[in-house]
Amino acid sequence: MKNYDVVINHKGAVSLSVVDSILHQLKSYINHKVHDKITRKRIYTLSVECLENIFRHADVNDEKNSLIKDYPPRFIIEKISESFIIHTGNILLNAHISNLSDRIEKLNSLELEGINLLYKESLSNAEISEKGGAGLGLIVMAKTTGQKIRYDFEKINDKFSYFAMQLNLKR
Amino acid sequence: MNVINIAATEKSPRVILNSDSNVFEMQGNSRPENVRDFFYPIIDDLKKYFESLNITEYKEKAIKFNFKLDYFNSSSAKFISDILVIVQTFAKKGFDIKIYWYFDDGDEDMKEVGEDFQEMISYPFNFIMVQR
Repeated sequence: MKNYDVVINHKGAVSLSVVDSILHQLKSYINHKVHDKITRKRIYTLSVECLENIFRHADVNDEKNSLIKDYPPRFIIEKISESFIIHTGNILLNAHISNLSDRIEKLNSLELEGINLLYKESLSNAEISEKGGAGLGLIVMAKTTGQKIRYDFEKINDKFSYFAMQLNLKR
Repeated sequence: MNVINIAATEKSPRVILNSDSNVFEMQGNSRPENVRDFFYPIIDDLKKYFESLNITEYKEKAIKFNFKLDYFNSSSAKFISDILVIVQTFAKKGFDIKIYWYFDDGDEDMKEVGEDFQEMISYPFNFIMVQR
């Protein structure tokens, strides 16, 4: 197997059909090239959660749409040796930054045992939003990778920023 | 009679609830486009089914819940937990309920999430490993 591979490289709008098409492409890659069942499943799990998050926050908004050319939603999977790195990017409201970074920081401060506990608590308490999110996606990402979530916010203007996230799945 | 009878799609599981055999079964993949529209009717029908049963008849007649899922996303996990909370509620009322959680040989994550659910509702699961 090659030591470096770009598994998925998507930059541009993320609609439901784009999500399906990326997942289809991913399945075909992992079924052929990833022999370990648990790794296959974990890459798929992480990809679904990331893509659904990007999709849910891709609400149609003229102000935001005008920024998409320069700040396109991004979903990239690289394979480096036996590890997979997932890069995501999407525009979000500055008003949402503190809530999101608090949630990631909380997860990053926990060991796997703490993350598992948080997952169980959140399952019982989760409320499904209008957009179908249960607020469990980030926890699943932390639980599945067992690694810290790397992230960054790049300020675009007074209203929006670009949220970049990196997940590392080691075998 | 099938109280619930939903065919599988690529993104949503097959769901069956049969009131003659008293088996509820969910099988396949779950990341439905509209997770609320998919699960709310199932949850409603399941509640109605339990409420229609006479407890004296069901203390010793087992109701089986089979979860044969290959994959589910995090929003589906929330609804599976809601289904299990209903199971827990009616088990506490005295219904004899058996939960079977299937997972593929090598898919430890699927087994683990079943264990998480088991712990969450404090009710025993039967874990069944499937060879493929």
